[in-house]
Amino acid sequence: MLLRVQCFGASRLWCGADELELDIPAATPTVGDAEQTLAERFPNFAAQRQRMAYALGDSVVASTHRLHGNDTLVLIPPVSGG
Amino acid sequence: MTHLVEGPVRVEHYLGKVPPECGAMTVFAGTVRCLHLGREVTGIHYHAYVPLAEKRLQELESDTARRFGVHCRLVHATGELVVGQVSVLVLAYGPHRQETFEACRYAIDTLKQTVPIWKEERFANGASAFVDGSPLSTILAG
Repeated sequence: MLLRVQCFGASRLWCGADELELDIPAATPTVGDAEQTLAERFPNFAAQRQRMAYALGDSVVASTHRLHGNDTLVLIPPVSGG
Repeated sequence: MTHLVEGPVRVEHYLGKVPPECGAMTVFAGTVRCLHLGREVTGIHYHAYVPLAEKRLQELESDTARRFGVHCRLVHATGELVVGQVSVLVLAYGPHRQETFEACRYAIDTLKQTVPIWKEERFANGASAFVDGSPLSTILAG
């Protein structure tokens, strides 16, 4: 499945773009499958994956959440507001 | 109500009329500091994932108000700020000072862990770098 991914904070540097398209080798992948594909494609992301969170729209989603073709997965690296 | 503003937070815009039942107003304003880990900082670019940041700030206002029995208002800057400008504002109004002090501390500490905002520091030598923060906490529901 081809998934649109939006990168925030330092994940832009780890993945080399603000937005990208990710080809995930599964018909109905989960967020965890997307994370695995990102880790295989971007070594700098792989080093940080334990500290990541993910969102769809205004909701945080778990690694077991199933993705659909029109979703945009948002990468939320460690936050530093204030 | 919007919680994210473009550019620095103008504190005076939010210091409105205090509700009559309140005897205390505590204000916390975070500002851009000129030094971080020994490096000279000239400014910070604040990045936000707006849909979730707005939702989390709204939830945190409600959570703080409920937890401490106060009125709470949170405003955070986005975009480029220079040293000395206000990046975040926490207002707490309540009957007595103790709960407004505690509410302010709780709100800013929780904001730093739960709201998807990132600091990208600008250094005097022209370089920039994202501040290493905290993994997003799920203290707040949603």
